[in-house]
Amino acid sequence: MNRGHEENGGVVPIEMILARLLRIGSIIAAILLAAGIAAMLLVGASFAPGLITAGLVVLLATPIMRVLVAGVVFAKEKDWLFALFCLVVLCSLAAGVILGRGE
Amino acid sequence: MIIMTTLEIFLIAITAGIVGSILGLGGGIIIVPALTLLFGVSMRTAVAASTVSIIATSTGAAVAYLHDRLSNVRVAMWLEMGTATGALTGALVAGYISQRLLFILFGALLAYSGYNMFKSRKAELPGEVVPDRISKRLNLAGSYYDQLLRRRVDYQVTRSIPGLIIMYFSGAAAGLLGIGAGIFKVPAMDQVMRMPFKVSTATSNFMIGVTAASGAVVYFARGDVKPLIAGPVVLGVLLGALVGARLMVRMRATTIRKLFIPLIIYTAIMMIYKGISQ
Repeated sequence: MNRGHEENGGVVPIEMILARLLRIGSIIAAILLAAGIAAMLLVGASFAPGLITAGLVVLLATPIMRVLVAGVVFAKEKDWLFALFCLVVLCSLAAGVILGRGE
Repeated sequence: MIIMTTLEIFLIAITAGIVGSILGLGGGIIIVPALTLLFGVSMRTAVAASTVSIIATSTGAAVAYLHDRLSNVRVAMWLEMGTATGALTGALVAGYISQRLLFILFGALLAYSGYNMFKSRKAELPGEVVPDRISKRLNLAGSYYDQLLRRRVDYQVTRSIPGLIIMYFSGAAAGLLGIGAGIFKVPAMDQVMRMPFKVSTATSNFMIGVTAASGAVVYFARGDVKPLIAGPVVLGVLLGALVGARLMVRMRATTIRKLFIPLIIYTAIMMIYKGISQ
């Protein structure tokens, strides 16, 4: 059972790849946010909101990247059905964004 | 003055991050009322900050959950098709549907799953589960190492199609009513697909980031995301989620369920009330 979750022949399991991606995303976001908030509170720097926004954008991009990377990993493993699932999710996200902006 | 306010927002956000990451919810249930009632932030700004903070809950906690294999990536991808297309449908039909009816309908649904959850409150793990054909075909079964039980837990997944359909409607509800990042996902996986409770909350946590991302992009584009409010909220939630995930892996499923039941009942009552009073 449970073939999808096992480490097969030295291939890095998808969970670890995604965990690494999410960790990098959250660390970069946290650093930018902390720096921005500190700059705002301590010196009232004019670039502070920009730093915070950059942190928020990095955080926002992380789950979208997560779906994209998962799709690539599934495709590499020739797991075409799951690669297709990722594509459906990405297309729905894109359509939702276009629709939302148009309002 | 501004330092005190920021600190207060920060501390509330940490709490929301801990609670949200343990229960697999977005934490909007804490963030939105706190910002609007305690700090006089406008509803639009509060909801925008809360939506971005859902991504923080999800991303912050998922690292730990993925390492422990608590988040089932395959189940998540299967169900995300439902939430993503549902959210899109919700956005499309938003103007044509009675919100009142939806609030009452979804409220009743939540009350029912709250009742079911109460009935199974003593079960640490689901009993024998026979996988359906699609679950076998898609290889949805999984296993994780339970740090509390100190053993590997193998589990099966069943009723994949009903699960997907519920996700579709929960995605639509999120788009239409602005609620329910995780509150529908957890019972669907726990009660319908019969997954272990910790796997259900961890997988819900993993999924909500994607659902929230599309909404967050729109709030960004409209300029509703105010850095001075959203910044401290999101940083606090992110740190809270890191703490919450470490706590959750060592908690009993029955304990987490006991925390979840009052929240689901509360949300059900609030929704039905909104539907009736609107």
